Amino acid sequence: MFTDINDVLQRFSQQRYIATEEIATVIYLAQSLGKPVLAEGPAGVGKTELAKVWAKALGRPLIRLQCYEGLDESKALYEWEYAKQMLYTQLLRDSIGEIVGAASSLADAARRLSQEEDVFFSENFLLPRPLLTALTAPEPVVLLIDEIDRADVEFEAFLLEVLSDFQVSIPELGTINAVHEPMVLLTSNNTRELSEALKRRCLFLYVNYPGLSTEVEIVRLKVPDLRPELAQQAVEIVQQLRNLDLRKIPSISETLDWARALVTLNAGSIDAAVLRNTITVLLKYEADVAKARRMMGDGGRARPEY
Amino acid sequence: MDNRVVEFIHGLRAAGVRVSVAESQDALRAMSVLGVYNKTLFRESLRATLVKEVDDFAAFNELFPLYFGSGGPPLQNAMEDMTPDEQDMLKAALSALSGRWQQLLDWLTSGEGPTKEELEEMARRAGAQWAQNPQEAKWITRRMLRQLGFSQLEELMQQLMAQLQAMGMSQEAINKLMGVVEANRDALAEQIAQQVGRQVGEQLAEQRERRPEGLYGPDLMHKPFEALSEEEANLLRKEVQRLVAQLRSRAALRRKRGADGKFDAKSTIRANQRYAGIPFELRFKKQKLKPSLVLICDVSNSMRAAVEFMLRLVYELQDQISRARSFAFYGDLTEITVAMDTSRVEQAIENARDAIPGGPWRTDLGNSLETFFKKHLDAVDGRTTVIILGDGRNSWNSPRADLVQDLQRRAKRLIWLNPEPPRQWGTGDSDMLLYEPFCDRVFPARNLAQLSAAIDKLLTNN
Repeated sequence: MFTDINDVLQRFSQQRYIATEEIATVIYLAQSLGKPVLAEGPAGVGKTELAKVWAKALGRPLIRLQCYEGLDESKALYEWEYAKQMLYTQLLRDSIGEIVGAASSLADAARRLSQEEDVFFSENFLLPRPLLTALTAPEPVVLLIDEIDRADVEFEAFLLEVLSDFQVSIPELGTINAVHEPMVLLTSNNTRELSEALKRRCLFLYVNYPGLSTEVEIVRLKVPDLRPELAQQAVEIVQQLRNLDLRKIPSISETLDWARALVTLNAGSIDAAVLRNTITVLLKYEADVAKARRMMGDGGRARPEY
Repeated sequence: MDNRVVEFIHGLRAAGVRVSVAESQDALRAMSVLGVYNKTLFRESLRATLVKEVDDFAAFNELFPLYFGSGGPPLQNAMEDMTPDEQDMLKAALSALSGRWQQLLDWLTSGEGPTKEELEEMARRAGAQWAQNPQEAKWITRRMLRQLGFSQLEELMQQLMAQLQAMGMSQEAINKLMGVVEANRDALAEQIAQQVGRQVGEQLAEQRERRPEGLYGPDLMHKPFEALSEEEANLLRKEVQRLVAQLRSRAALRRKRGADGKFDAKSTIRANQRYAGIPFELRFKKQKLKPSLVLICDVSNSMRAAVEFMLRLVYELQDQISRARSFAFYGDLTEITVAMDTSRVEQAIENARDAIPGGPWRTDLGNSLETFFKKHLDAVDGRTTVIILGDGRNSWNSPRADLVQDLQRRAKRLIWLNPEPPRQWGTGDSDMLLYEPFCDRVFPARNLAQLSAAIDKLLTNN
């Protein structure tokens, strides 16, 4: 557990994640208030990474639930292991025969069998999915519910019980309470509005593109082979690209890819030729590339010095 | 401190941020965990617990300093460091200057600013109780400063300086005095700005509570778009959110039930391989029930409100729609799908109007449809629902009903939403009666209730 906010910052940086004070505050609050965190922001700013680092910093396992359209309880929470149940009925045929054998009538046999049916709907045959795993884990875990905005609205409603009370109801078994309350991080790319009820239960964290100095720091940390002045120049260009009206704005992960590309190409400086050859690492649409070229050609600040 | 936080939450609500009681509790708990000594942490803890919408960050950032500002730096006492002689001189000079602005000079030199009650009273006189929205606070502050004589201050200071010089005060002492007075002036202005901001916030919070319930009621849903006042339109925009949640869950439920469609033999065999082919799990073919839409909207003045709400609804419901492309027309037609990606629908419509090539500013659906056929016909295929939102008033231009017919033939279906009541169709320059035979359905869309009913049908009867 973190002792205070500085501890969060320090342990995150040990995991090579540069957290802003805002992120650290919210993470610390989540721990002390026992509330889930909802991280929102553009794609590729390190929301998922945050959960991984959170788990590592605390030395806890990370359990990940990737959301997608059509995700339902049986895939997120638990499922009965039909195959195992069937196998057991086969193997236990003799003992079942003993139980039923003494029965005088069909009704009696059914009654006797029903007394034993708890055996087949017990935790032995429960196949836990991420949510149940997180709740029943013997040690505390970090639970990442990734891209919740992709899941259906019903699933969101189903999550409410898990998030506010850390418990789930399984009809055959009753309510299962969390052994340890997990730390929960939900991420959303904001492709749709999440429900009020869900937001109310979470602490809200907006992760935006980092500022110039932070991003340079990130590049230097993750791609140490890139020369510092080159890193600075590269980040400046990316930040300028973000101001353009692009279909897909380059994210931090793209900046890092580009930085790695520059290292691989052994670029001495970022000049027009290098930029032309590598810009597709940053921009994923033809129209965007054309726009960026126009910007560079306009003699804007990003015009490389050569 | 707790009280302050509660007042702050009231202020947030007045600014239109939704804060629930549970969230206020979280904020107070966060406060007890982190303490209030570090202001940035305090601020971030409040924001994480209270504001769950990026759009509301602006309101938070604006209000926070008003409630948790330092109250402005404290005023200093100019007389403190002075010799008794100099003090007497200052007092004499001040009384010689006595006039309308005596009070202000007293505050600035003595280091004792106005009391909270005096500030409140002054803000009231400057009109804080008539404020209608939080932005007015700045204006009221300026007015209050003017009433206090801040605009004459420069002149007064010159006079005071001259007076003191004449009395023989040393230049050094005068400079020092002026420095203190200037610092006090800034501090007082800061105090006043915060006071006004708070007062306006409280005032608005009260106003909100007093607002008659009827304004939120269902009537607004049935009020024609063109009759909405700006305030009512704003209320209705918020209502859209709730409406969308309803539509969404209805559509999702029906989709779920609709999903058990045809039995899927292939998938069932595959799924049951592990049970030695005994079919335990049955699989059904999922029916694609999400509609793909093409919206063609008339953005002429008469249609603006209806179009705005239509686009709002459609874009809030994006996850229930597999694909939506929108086009706006006036004299000519242009695609606005990309422009719609921004969260501000009003802005997007404005952009769309700018994007439409010039020419006669008169509605011309015939010409617009020609453009559509030339440039954007790829948007329409056999699975597309085409929705035309317009009043069918063509300013006597060629109606080109043949193109509408062609469109209907190509699309899965063509739906027309018309905000005019049927008895007005065909009157004046309306070509609605010409178009009507080629539409699979025509829905009235005179108000939000009708519009949402139409969309509900769209999402479910596919």
